[in-house]
Amino acid sequence: MKRTRALTVATALILGAAACGTGGGAGGQSKDPVEKLPPGKKVSGEITFWHAYGAGGNEVKQLEKKVIPAFEKEHPGAKVKPVTVQYDKLHQKLVTAAAGQSLPDVVRSDLIWVPELAELGVLVPLSEALPDFKKLSGQTFEGPLATNLYKGKHYGLPLDTNTKVLLYNDSTLKAAGVDGPPKTFDDLRAAAPKLAARKDFVLAEADTSGWNLLPYIWSNGGEMTNKEITKSDGYLNGEKSVEAVQLLVDLYKAKGLPKLVLGGAGATPAADGLAKGKYATTVEGPWIYPPVQKQYPKFKMKGAPFPKGDADSVSVVGGESVVVTTASKEKALAAEFSRFLLTPKAQKLMAETGQISVLKSLSEEMSKLEPSYEPYMKQLETARPRPTTPAWTKVDEILSKQVQLAIRGEVPVKKALDEAVAQIDPLLARG
Amino acid sequence: MDTPRKTVGLLGGAPRGTPPRGKSRRRTDLTPYAFLLPGVALFCLVVAYPLSRSLQISFYDWAVVPTQESRFIGFDNYLRGLQDGQFWLSMANVGVYLVVTVPGQIAIGMFLAVLLDARLPARGLFRVLFYLPVVTSWVVVALLFKYLFTTDGGAINWVLHDMLHLVDHNVPWLQQRWTGLLAVCALGIWKGVGWSMVIFLAALTGVSSELKDAAAIDGANAWQRFVNVSLPAIRRTLLFVIVMLIIGGFNVFISILLMTEGGPAGSTEVPLTYMYKQAFDFLDFGYASALSFLLAIVIAVISFVQFHLFRDDAIGARR
Amino acid sequence: MTSTPQAGAYTRERVSTAMRVTLLALGSLVLILPFLYMAGTSFKSNAFLFEIPPRLIPEDPTSSNYTTALSSNNFGRYFLNSLYVAVSTTFVVLVLASTMAYAFARFDFPGKRAAFAALLGGLMIPAIIMIVPQFILASDLGLLDSLNGLVLFYSGGAVAFTTFLLRAFFERVPQALDDAMTIDGAGPVRKFVSLYLPLVRPALATAAIFTFLGAWDEFVWALTVIDNPDKRTLPIAIAAFQGQHSTQWGLVFAASMIAIVPVLVVYVVGQRQFIAGIASGAVKD
Repeated sequence: MKRTRALTVATALILGAAACGTGGGAGGQSKDPVEKLPPGKKVSGEITFWHAYGAGGNEVKQLEKKVIPAFEKEHPGAKVKPVTVQYDKLHQKLVTAAAGQSLPDVVRSDLIWVPELAELGVLVPLSEALPDFKKLSGQTFEGPLATNLYKGKHYGLPLDTNTKVLLYNDSTLKAAGVDGPPKTFDDLRAAAPKLAARKDFVLAEADTSGWNLLPYIWSNGGEMTNKEITKSDGYLNGEKSVEAVQLLVDLYKAKGLPKLVLGGAGATPAADGLAKGKYATTVEGPWIYPPVQKQYPKFKMKGAPFPKGDADSVSVVGGESVVVTTASKEKALAAEFSRFLLTPKAQKLMAETGQISVLKSLSEEMSKLEPSYEPYMKQLETARPRPTTPAWTKVDEILSKQVQLAIRGEVPVKKALDEAVAQIDPLLARG
Repeated sequence: MDTPRKTVGLLGGAPRGTPPRGKSRRRTDLTPYAFLLPGVALFCLVVAYPLSRSLQISFYDWAVVPTQESRFIGFDNYLRGLQDGQFWLSMANVGVYLVVTVPGQIAIGMFLAVLLDARLPARGLFRVLFYLPVVTSWVVVALLFKYLFTTDGGAINWVLHDMLHLVDHNVPWLQQRWTGLLAVCALGIWKGVGWSMVIFLAALTGVSSELKDAAAIDGANAWQRFVNVSLPAIRRTLLFVIVMLIIGGFNVFISILLMTEGGPAGSTEVPLTYMYKQAFDFLDFGYASALSFLLAIVIAVISFVQFHLFRDDAIGARR
Repeated sequence: MTSTPQAGAYTRERVSTAMRVTLLALGSLVLILPFLYMAGTSFKSNAFLFEIPPRLIPEDPTSSNYTTALSSNNFGRYFLNSLYVAVSTTFVVLVLASTMAYAFARFDFPGKRAAFAALLGGLMIPAIIMIVPQFILASDLGLLDSLNGLVLFYSGGAVAFTTFLLRAFFERVPQALDDAMTIDGAGPVRKFVSLYLPLVRPALATAAIFTFLGAWDEFVWALTVIDNPDKRTLPIAIAAFQGQHSTQWGLVFAASMIAIVPVLVVYVVGQRQFIAGIASGAVKD
């Protein structure tokens, strides 16, 4: 019996300690009025800047060796400490740091996370704090800017924008007797068996998240949610959306889509497969050019518009925003640095490494600066942002999982999307 | 005939303590507490207090940012956990992990220990080599196995497909549930087998050789000698190893996190990865804490059953 | 002439020994092969990472992965961080656990059973389930993103296990020696320092190795609380070499090799001690 008693005692101790635990923990702090951060003030001190620029190309080098030194030169006494966080770890780092109140001063955040961080109350509403916000935001494209809106205030400024186009490997297509890149869903369906016969894949998608899926839905005339982003029922599970997902399911069945789409690990990444000729096409952003050129210097990657279904080719807008945190002790400096990142000078420097500028004034120059941008600039004209909601991370997870089930053939597409809708709508309704 | 008397140290329950012989009664007052205080204080701060806090958090819709209000919601988080198919899938996955890795480590560990339990050349070297994976960091070996189990170009597929022709295509190991779990189990066994081997070896060395010789003279073969003499003698050690391996199995985390990230579509998620995701991807601290306690309850029940086995076994041994 | 029974037994034993060694050699080869492959890959340039057939020994070995790992990412710093955290944790845990073990082994006092049971309970539960409240606690104490914060939490996590390990050894110190010192007028502190500690030194060494390895390898807590890249420990740094689009495995493994070398040294030097310690923790006569 002794041991049993020892365990009981242990349990009692733990429970007893629980009873003595402090209550609540969340005291309602009064809201400070937004501090004004006018431009041109003399700034000094040190700020920390988190970003997920990739080390594969030259992004980090360009930021650390050119952009930041230029800023520090213009503002003597000011120091910016850049911190590179892996993109796929950045969201977790951001929300964890928000919970631990250890956020840095300035963050280059994926635009899709801005509403979530704003809801957590850790971001400075820039449209309130910056007297010159109208002037700054007026220079940028409306699409990316709109993703920073949460409850009537803008919490970030767009920093770079991008979209995805169809990238293809000419020789793989030719070898299978396919003439040029697929322009429509039907072209994809028709090319799939020809490539499959050679054990190649017509199309590689790396995931089933909204970022991957929405272009298919939109280009088929479907929608994910209503305009107000309050419900997805009748949209995500609507006929056109179901058809679009069905395309991927059918391609997967016909061995036209590699297992890469199922996530997990161990598959040949899209860019490698494309360069090696295993995948004929994939859908990717402009940042993929520099690392591919570095690793596969002989491979000539080409871009084409995203294939269309029953509607016009519509791709998805991605990009990053710069946000200032409420935790920052150097908000004036943080604001000044954000302004600097939006100057044509800084924007051009980053554009050299695969970051398309958000400045309308530079849009003409982009393709001249980097010929590979051309299809992207064209695609951007019709590209749309993902639904802006603070619940996006969860919404995306649900969508991604249900579509995976459909692709693996475990659930019919319509049923999977119905299930996704059933889980997503309560989250959207919460606002 | 001296039967080896093995007792289990780590899980031996509360120490009886030595009789307070020669110790002056008056001096016992505060001295032990003074020796205990720093360690216990640290333990309370870093383990006991967080554990109790975790229980508290599990009853709240916990607001992670201090400017927002937490809401008391009673058992809602627990009910949600009980109805969460993904959570049960993760429990099933850890069950699979236990069912594969515990017997795996015991059988292989025992086999190696029996082989080593003799006067052999290079015995020390073998012991060192087998133990090497145990001391290597989980991060390193998980990444290593992820590399080995890569679909196209991975060494495992090369052996199975190109060399042995056992499969007609490259197996997408980490891209589906069962093969993904299998790969993680393989890592678990590979990394843990040295530990069980060392412990079995220590126990086997204590088994009286006279008994074995006597059995040999009676005509028992090696297998019979092992089953009838060695195995009963090291029974308690065997139970100890089982308990430790089961508790350790519930700890499976880093290998999943780095090899499959719980994917595809959450199909290789285990309770700890799922809990971690709820906490640090979705900031749902309340729900994550409730899941922790559900898991802790399961572990407590299993441990409780094992303690009973231990006790009955102890009684049986005394008879 | 047939061989005598003894000679037959002798031959049989030799055959059996040969068989054992063969089986063990095969087994250890399987266990060691992944390490060798990792070592080989760390000397391959990127282009040969997934070559078919895979080569154990790179055709065109290069040390570029090592130079890149060491120079590009502040690797020396991470190494020192890990060393600082592991050594400090080991020190703190040894001090606290040995005093506790002494108290549990040589004193009877009210609450002993309960305190011991509480420690035991703490051992059963996976450490990660406390990560949420520990995170909040670290945040309240201002110990996020701090190496000393790592030391505090690693120490608290390891102290219970080490106490268990050491208690058994403290109990084995003959009571007669203790009594003799009492007669000489020695108090508990002097007995602890000049009788017990020297006698359990081998156990302390085992505990030290355990604790060091635990702190050196810890990943999840550090991943969660460390933001500043200057404060990364080796496991985080290694995992960070995994890229989003494609992983530079040569770099990952070069970094891994650098990280496991100290572990191997500690282990090979102390292996006799270490293995004896593990075994005696589980099996005592």
